[in-house]
Amino acid sequence: MIELINVTKTYANGVDVLLNVNLHIGKEEFIFIVGPSGAGKTSLMKLLYREERPTVGQVIVDRVNVVELNADQIPYLRRNIGVVFQDYKLLPKRTVFENVAFALRVTGAPRSTIRRKAMQSLELVGMLRRANAFPEQLSGGEKQRACIARAIVNNPPILLADEPTGNLDPTTSWDIIQLLDKINRRHTTVLVATHNKNIVDDMKRRVVALESGRVVRDQQLGGYNV
Amino acid sequence: MFSNLEFFLVEALRSFRRGALMTVVAIGTITVALVIFGFFLLLVVNLSNIVGTFSSKMDIAAYVESDISLANAGVLQLKLSKIPGVLKVDFISKTEAWRNLKQEFGTSLNLGEIIVGNPLPHTFNITVRTPELLSSVAKQVAGFQNIDEVRYSGKLIDQIQSLVSAVRIGGAALVILISFATLLIVVNTIRLTVLARETDISIMKLVGATNTFVKWPFIIEGILIGVIGGFLSFVILKLSYDTIISRISAALPFLPVVTNQTLLTGVYIVMILGGTALGMLGAYISVTRILKAEV
Repeated sequence: MIELINVTKTYANGVDVLLNVNLHIGKEEFIFIVGPSGAGKTSLMKLLYREERPTVGQVIVDRVNVVELNADQIPYLRRNIGVVFQDYKLLPKRTVFENVAFALRVTGAPRSTIRRKAMQSLELVGMLRRANAFPEQLSGGEKQRACIARAIVNNPPILLADEPTGNLDPTTSWDIIQLLDKINRRHTTVLVATHNKNIVDDMKRRVVALESGRVVRDQQLGGYNV
Repeated sequence: MFSNLEFFLVEALRSFRRGALMTVVAIGTITVALVIFGFFLLLVVNLSNIVGTFSSKMDIAAYVESDISLANAGVLQLKLSKIPGVLKVDFISKTEAWRNLKQEFGTSLNLGEIIVGNPLPHTFNITVRTPELLSSVAKQVAGFQNIDEVRYSGKLIDQIQSLVSAVRIGGAALVILISFATLLIVVNTIRLTVLARETDISIMKLVGATNTFVKWPFIIEGILIGVIGGFLSFVILKLSYDTIISRISAALPFLPVVTNQTLLTGVYIVMILGGTALGMLGAYISVTRILKAEV
């Protein structure tokens, strides 16, 4: 599903955020990307939805080499990749429903489809009863559920979550990870970048550890540390 | 597509209302810029009209030998009117010229008492199609039999000619310059309204909106701002122009100010359409720049 081949990303100031990274992620896998801040987790995710381009190497997503996509093709790549952010990135002046519907609206979907799919998505994340609330009225966990609802509303085959529990307390964090697991079982490939040790250790999934831009460990049923 | 159009309109109106202050600032800027633009446009139209009127008054006076018969004069008039570039030829008989002259002096001086008989010659007043033709036509007229003397104010014509072209070229340059300045101001003002929504744009891009899709609501908003700005500047300009013109007409009645409604309507339409185009172009340039910066 996802393939990184000899990927190096060097910023203009000469810092290598990713160095010769090779990674293969299969269909419907659930994988943790772990490592300290600045290890390159976020950069790796950004390469996948073409927020950034690698300096060297190839990035294949769903059989498409995303490095070579031109600007007109990027939107269609992103409709196939849901992204969940640590800071949620919800539009503040819109309700939860509108935020979720927004992701469908921009694809030009008809109104009836938008309503049905947005409702389904909100139901899946358990936010149906908060559909008409504004982001500022929500708790952190609710905001993250809304963000996930938006990420999956297009039924993308891939879901990326960058520090999804970074701003949440342990119980809420666990709920969010359970939700991501549930989405994974609905045949979605899920990548979670995190430095939450407890969650990684409890979930016992494939773990890829990054350190200073290099893959230092790739382990099935792994924990946060060796 | 229909549902998209609806979405674009709703989004445009939403942002129009939400960024109330920015919207007012943008409309105000476009209005002020267009009023200045329209003011110069009307100034140029008027100047050009004034010099045009003066230059169109320029004609050739051909004095005829006194002993010509009226019949021969008629034949000569026909011949003169066939010269290429001649618009019309008026015959002013010496009697008529003498009467006119006496009338001009009016009661202040009785010319008939001072001068005995009529010293004036018959005269042809020859109007040419364009001022440039004056000298060449004058030369041809002078070559005709029975023509005693030809007069036209050649030097003055040349000067007025250069004034006309200076006003037209300078006016056009000024209008182009002000258009550019207006566009710059509008682009930068609308840029602020776009920048205020940068988060929205980046989220739209992240969830897979195409650039075209992101652009439309902004362009519609720009058109809306432009139409309102254009209309406001039209109202302001029309009211002030009508006031100024009625004052000038009262004070300087001989000045040929432009009151031709068709021409004025043209200027006002240019302003409203110009405002619309400015708003649209301003929004397009701003949002395109931001989208480029977004990758």
